[in-house]
Amino acid sequence: MDNLLWTHSKRGGKVVVYSIAVVAAIWVLLPFLWAIVNSFKTLEATFSAGAIIPFLNFRPTLDSWNEVLSDPQSINSLMSSAIVAAGTTLLVLVLGTPAAYSLARFEFKWQSKDIALWFLSQRVMPPVVVLVPFYILMVQLRLIDTWSGLILLYSTFNLAFCVVIMRDIFRDVSKEVEEAARIEGANLWQIFWMIALPLSLDGLIVTAIIVFAFSWNEALFASALTSQHAATLPEFILSSRSTQGVNFNVAAVNTIIAIAPPVIMSFFVQRYLARGLSFGAVKG
Amino acid sequence: MEPANKAQRASESLFKYAMLGPAVLWVIAFTFFPIFSALNYSFSNYVLGRGITNYVGLKNYYAALTDPGFWHSLLITVIYVGVAVPVEVCLGFLFAWIITVGLPGKGIFRSVLTAPLFTMEVAIGYLGVTLFTSQGGLVSVLLNLIHVQIPWMSTGEGGLAAAIILDVWQWTPFVFLMALAALGSIPDEIYDAAMLEASSHWQVLRHVGLPLAWPVLTVAILLRLIEGLKTFGLPFALTSGGPGTSTQLFSIMNYLITIQFFDFGRGSAMGILYLIMVSVIITVFFQQMRKRID
Repeated sequence: MDNLLWTHSKRGGKVVVYSIAVVAAIWVLLPFLWAIVNSFKTLEATFSAGAIIPFLNFRPTLDSWNEVLSDPQSINSLMSSAIVAAGTTLLVLVLGTPAAYSLARFEFKWQSKDIALWFLSQRVMPPVVVLVPFYILMVQLRLIDTWSGLILLYSTFNLAFCVVIMRDIFRDVSKEVEEAARIEGANLWQIFWMIALPLSLDGLIVTAIIVFAFSWNEALFASALTSQHAATLPEFILSSRSTQGVNFNVAAVNTIIAIAPPVIMSFFVQRYLARGLSFGAVKG
Repeated sequence: MEPANKAQRASESLFKYAMLGPAVLWVIAFTFFPIFSALNYSFSNYVLGRGITNYVGLKNYYAALTDPGFWHSLLITVIYVGVAVPVEVCLGFLFAWIITVGLPGKGIFRSVLTAPLFTMEVAIGYLGVTLFTSQGGLVSVLLNLIHVQIPWMSTGEGGLAAAIILDVWQWTPFVFLMALAALGSIPDEIYDAAMLEASSHWQVLRHVGLPLAWPVLTVAILLRLIEGLKTFGLPFALTSGGPGTSTQLFSIMNYLITIQFFDFGRGSAMGILYLIMVSVIITVFFQQMRKRID
């Protein structure tokens, strides 16, 4: 801690900084704690909101967890979410990574920067604008309420992101290493597959996690295109909210299940997230 | 890489287009097709089960522009984004600064403040019901302690405010992370030199941190603006657009028109109009931003 910003600060200044940090932390943690506490209560116990300390204020129970996890519909939606998000991530990486590498390494008739910008501009369009065409397309292809339909759509929305960010990451791979491999007789595909990709593994993992999170959390098309078989967690939550209302304990369990996977994944890559989320504008 | 001969150049050319091709074709197929298709529907009368029966010119656009629900949803969206994004930018930057100042335990604070980033919007809106409802919701209970009662869930204003608060909770970390990276890329020597001259670190923030981080901050604002204008899941899960239609942001209103009422023609026309407005807003903002940075 040899940072002068801190060591040279006056006492009052330090107190203010610490207070802001503590208030901010409470503000962030409160909804999480609320969900955790409620998930261990019975429905009756949730009516007394002030009872927050387990064992002392209320008797913790796993009833709500059992209730949710034994509901075939919630298990089904959990599985759909996992399959759709994983499938999308795979397809996006398979299509996007080679394109990104190509843009990072080679000259094109148009500047590679402009092509990247074109990919980026796809991101501006609000998805609801193309709800009708995609809905009708899915009806015609008989992909309503299927995993494949969602994977197809989510890949479209995330491909641009993958190309832009991976292009940026590939540009950091040293050209000398690739040149050396070429002199050794490696062909272009081998250079990409055995040198550039492994050297960019960090970036690849961050990209994969962000794409996974986007697909996992997507609600608009999940809600419009699925109902039973392929209903993902957002659709499951929205429909149970409108048919069964909101029970505090069940809502808490559902919330925890729905938010845990991407949040936990993101903890492992926090250091690189800024770069990924800003499409490479920030070198984190 | 310098291709040594003609054969190598040809294989390189084949390779680079083969690598790029699938992604470009995919994006063209699945973004151009739907936009043109949406344009087509917006000029037609679509009957479920029979398809397009006839073309009706600008009738759908006229219906959209004279629909009070359309204008109301635009107003609600502008308020939502206009309040949430500036608050997120200010808070995110402030949080990033206190971490940069280097308070003890900054690693923990950093992790905590990032936590809401990838939470599912629908789940947060759904949990929000249990936070804001007047029947035992945490926020209402806490406010009752100081004898304040706010009708969060029973009025449009309250519902919108609750949704904005949750949006700020969820998306401040995004600005926080970007600002943190920007402030972290400024060399320590610059901070130290500034600190020796300044009377407190708040002055360093104003005269060094903010100006140097500003370019990155504008990118964060732009990205938040783009995503904010798409907002759907959080307010929809929180209020279902109600009471009445009072908290229907554009995406919610348009979703209900197309998926619940199957009015594909009018829904498409509204979508096209919205796309034009969003593109204009983002372009103007982007130009301004570029000018400032140059």
